Amino acid sequence: MTTETQHGSVIVMDRRRGKLRAGQGLLQGLRVVWDHWAGSFRKNDNFSKIHGTFTVEYPEERLPMPQAYRNMPVLLFDDESGHELCTGCYQCQRICPPQVIHITQAKDPVTGKMVPAATEFIIEYDACMSCGFCAEVCPFDSIKMDHVYELSTANRAALTMRKAQLNRSISYYTGIAPGLWAEVQAGAMKKLQGSIKRRPDVIGLAASLTEKIKARRLELAAAAAAAPAAAAVSAPAAPAAPAAKLTPEEKAAKLAAMKAANANKGAAPAPAEAPVALSPADAKAAKLAAIKAANANKGAAPAPAEAPVALSPADAKAAKLAAIKAANAAKQAEAAPVSVETAVATAPLDAKAARLAAIKAANAAKLAAEQGNNE
Amino acid sequence: MLKTEELQINIGPQHPSTHGVFRMLVTVDGETVTDLKPVFGYLHRNHEQIAEVNTYLQNMPYTDRLDYFNAMANNHAYAMAVEKLVGIEVPERAEYIRVLMVELTRILNHAGALGFLINDMGAWQTQLAFGMREREKILDLFESVSGARLMCNYFRFGGVARDLTADFMPRLKDLLVAMPAFIDEMERLLRENEILLQRSEGIGILPKDLALAYSVTGPVLRGSGVAYDIRRAEPYSIYDRLDFDVPVGSVGDVYDRILVRIEEMRQSKRIIEQVIAQLPDAQGGHINPKARQNVRPPVGDVYARVETPKGELGFYLVSDGSSRPYRYKVRAPSFINLTPLGDMCRGYKVADMVVILGSIDIVMGEVDR
Amino acid sequence: MQDVVNQVINTSFGWGWPSWAIALIGYLIVAALLFGIAPFQMLFLTLYERRAIARMQDRIGPNRVGPEGMFQPLADGVKIFTKEDIVPTAADQWVHFIAPCVVVAPTMFMFAVLPWGPGMVPVDMNLGLLFFFAISSVSAVGLMMAGWASSNKFALVGAMRAVAQMVSYEIPAVLSLLAIVLVTGSLSIVELINYQGGLFISTRDVASVPDWGLGWFIFSPVGFLAFIAFFIAALAEGERTPFDIPEADSEIVAGYMTEYSGMKFGLFYLAQYVLNFLLCAITSIIFFGGWQGPGVGWLYAQAITPVNPQGGWVFNVLAGVLGVFYFLTKTYGFFFVMVWIRGAYARLRIDQLMDFGWKFLIPLTLVNIFSAAIWVGLTKWGAADGLAFVEGWSPLVRWAAAFGVTLALNLGAYLFLARIFAQSQDERARQDDDVLEQLTNVA
Repeated sequence: MTTETQHGSVIVMDRRRGKLRAGQGLLQGLRVVWDHWAGSFRKNDNFSKIHGTFTVEYPEERLPMPQAYRNMPVLLFDDESGHELCTGCYQCQRICPPQVIHITQAKDPVTGKMVPAATEFIIEYDACMSCGFCAEVCPFDSIKMDHVYELSTANRAALTMRKAQLNRSISYYTGIAPGLWAEVQAGAMKKLQGSIKRRPDVIGLAASLTEKIKARRLELAAAAAAAPAAAAVSAPAAPAAPAAKLTPEEKAAKLAAMKAANANKGAAPAPAEAPVALSPADAKAAKLAAIKAANANKGAAPAPAEAPVALSPADAKAAKLAAIKAANAAKQAEAAPVSVETAVATAPLDAKAARLAAIKAANAAKLAAEQGNNE
Repeated sequence: MLKTEELQINIGPQHPSTHGVFRMLVTVDGETVTDLKPVFGYLHRNHEQIAEVNTYLQNMPYTDRLDYFNAMANNHAYAMAVEKLVGIEVPERAEYIRVLMVELTRILNHAGALGFLINDMGAWQTQLAFGMREREKILDLFESVSGARLMCNYFRFGGVARDLTADFMPRLKDLLVAMPAFIDEMERLLRENEILLQRSEGIGILPKDLALAYSVTGPVLRGSGVAYDIRRAEPYSIYDRLDFDVPVGSVGDVYDRILVRIEEMRQSKRIIEQVIAQLPDAQGGHINPKARQNVRPPVGDVYARVETPKGELGFYLVSDGSSRPYRYKVRAPSFINLTPLGDMCRGYKVADMVVILGSIDIVMGEVDR
Repeated sequence: MQDVVNQVINTSFGWGWPSWAIALIGYLIVAALLFGIAPFQMLFLTLYERRAIARMQDRIGPNRVGPEGMFQPLADGVKIFTKEDIVPTAADQWVHFIAPCVVVAPTMFMFAVLPWGPGMVPVDMNLGLLFFFAISSVSAVGLMMAGWASSNKFALVGAMRAVAQMVSYEIPAVLSLLAIVLVTGSLSIVELINYQGGLFISTRDVASVPDWGLGWFIFSPVGFLAFIAFFIAALAEGERTPFDIPEADSEIVAGYMTEYSGMKFGLFYLAQYVLNFLLCAITSIIFFGGWQGPGVGWLYAQAITPVNPQGGWVFNVLAGVLGVFYFLTKTYGFFFVMVWIRGAYARLRIDQLMDFGWKFLIPLTLVNIFSAAIWVGLTKWGAADGLAFVEGWSPLVRWAAAFGVTLALNLGAYLFLARIFAQSQDERARQDDDVLEQLTNVA
């Protein structure tokens, strides 16, 4: 049962028995209604009033919708560049509770790789509950909630909206929700620039902006005309362009080369490599720890206890584990000097991880070298 | 003694006064009701089964549609259940905003419920129009902050979706000026009105023991004299910091329920004023924990309940460790409150039946889910 | 009317037609006017009601069809006309067809005895009031016909309730008017209006009062109580809230009108509004003087009348216009009160309704008749009738004494009866529990 706390009590409602009821209540009721009738000749335009006509004569008068009002999603495109903000990341499709969003992400016709744009974007307006989740989760602020509510139609098929019908310019959105756009504008435009860079050809331009599409096509054609000429001019030598895929051995060699270069530059000795095979994360951390261990062994002032690069918690744990392993390995390595070559053999096979590991190791080595220099 | 024949008639499911698609099989002897069987299920939409297929966040807009009058309260119960299951803490400011929204919902529910009850008694929508006017104001506030009037989808796990807008507070304060005038006017119109008294005093009595046996909750229970309010019995959110009284009736008839609802509106206004005074400023609280929405609760179950304007709304969630609930059960107050309808109507006239049904205040979205 | 027609045809044009022709033309013109006015009133009243009740609910009401919604009733009429007329096969076809006519026709008859202005009554009966209420009872038969012919048990139950309500409330209506008839001593409506000249005090009671047309019955305690009782009974007769059980849609079904659609339903609707208009009209006539008001008496005294055939016809017109204006203002004012009550109150249950009529209104009206008798005795009787002690008093003193005594009697009776009635209703609510026990024990 409810206890009587110091915050409130239980009140028993007073039924007011015993009073002579000879019609006074009826007259009071009439008075209340009269007040409303008399007051209804003015308009009730303030929340603090209870008298007055509360009617808004639609469709001549319409109430302004608040910015946050959400009814039916739309896709945004940038007025200036003409690019749609949508990258086809499927977040909205995943979150949609009634599953009415259907996205087809764009593909580069030449290479077959996925491009951050959407070729088709279907929303079934007749089943959409306007919950707003799609707009909430969109990382690129490209799908937003519109304010339209006059959508009645006799043609149900017409309510399946495609991208061309969903596209709205950002100026349209700032017209209906300026504050909401202002909050996210900076981040959204930055991400848009990133997406534009990765969109080849005219992929990602809003289909309705035919002039912009034509202009871009001309631009690309001009660039293509100029580029083969330029390519023919420059020497086809130096195939060591970073665009080409490296084989694991080549990568390892590259890594070794970089390390050797660093070792020669700085005072830091070749980082001791753990002879045991480690997972990529562990290898990264191992290398880092090994560098630290090497510095400590040198006797110079110990490197800062914390890693120079901020590691995420998972990485930190792995780093600690690897550090312990590396310390052991370093002790072993001290006994038997390990050549750089063997270190190379144990490099991870994963291309990306190796490159990343290499970069990180290089950075760490550089920093360690600096610290070593500072001591 | 004349032998009269009993007649079985069917009220609903299409009927202007059954508060939704609801059917009553009534056995009458002349003008007196001897038996009443409620038949529902006409609005069954598979809510609980759909919830097992959706993730926890995707269920939030569906909870809006349970008791479609009080979307915020449903959101609150569900958010609380998931937070309990996962172990998420809600920041202060978000708790205050939640209580603000839920108490506004209480006011708007009672304004509408009383209006509909008086309409059922035949008063041609006057009180309903006044109640709807106040509802419109509150719904405008909801729209400005959550984006929708009824299907608010405002609560998230660990807070609310969006902070209050700049124009919210001034309009809320204006509304609080109108609120006592509205409630006092309603009392003047209804409380001493001889006709209303004739139609509601002594009608539809639900005795205390029967109410407890049927596990009725909300204003119906309090009208029968049991001082049970979850906000006091098992305080959740920040209710243990707020001052408010709990009104109870003495007889358990329709009149008592009307009085209890009117007084609850006053107490809700009191709570809202305290919330406005104690609301921490924006810097103090983190409102929208975007990161925590894709929850994957540990294996286990939870039952969380809130005091919605209609009674106790509870969510029983069973998690199997995945991102979708294994079992999702809603304890809907209207469903439970509807079960004693037969006992409440027995012995009264046919014309009283509709009034008694209106005084329970049901929403078929909750009853049928 | 006949005098005007006579004047126009015989005197102005000099055609010299026989008097029966004059009478016939007079009657035809009046009938045509009434048949034009009656539906028009009903249309206007529907719009008036919807706009007024909307304003009471903080909204506007129909304002789209025509300026301020003036053509809304026409739109409603078109809608009603174009609906399909469905008659159930099991229904008694003839009775089903005639029932709406039987309900509407008496209401048209009632227009015959209603004076719109001075000298402007279609038929000047000396039993006008009796005719009025006798004819209005005929429409109850039509209701019963409608319920029976529908061969629908809900319609039958609804019709029986409606008839019970109408018949029960006829009694307090007539009894309250009986008090007024006692005071005036005449059943003629024209005479009732003529009695109400004066200034708060009728000139017939105190001859020295200037005749401003304000000596209405409402200003006396007898008339006031009679007005209250009559107006409530009129609400019930016209099936207005709080007595609108027959048309309540939150009850079982729509009552006796269930099986009617299209224009037949429209006729029931028309009958109800016309009846309400007539009841408001008779209220304003009997208790508020009808066309009596400042100026009308003076104008009419100089017009062409049976007692003054040499008057000026201009005064007829002016007196008529002013009289009609007063009459209609009062009538629409009462209709506004009916709408006001509709907006404010809930509906009584059928048994509560019957209780109220039989156990509260009828005793009240009986007490009022007693008061009326005292009034007549104190103001009009003398030694010849047995009241020697009032013989020497001046009329004003006699009036004051009558006023005081009847006021005390009426007020006391009202409060006493209200208390008894409230108590009996309380007991009734508790009695339901016994019934409840009885039924659940048996069942």
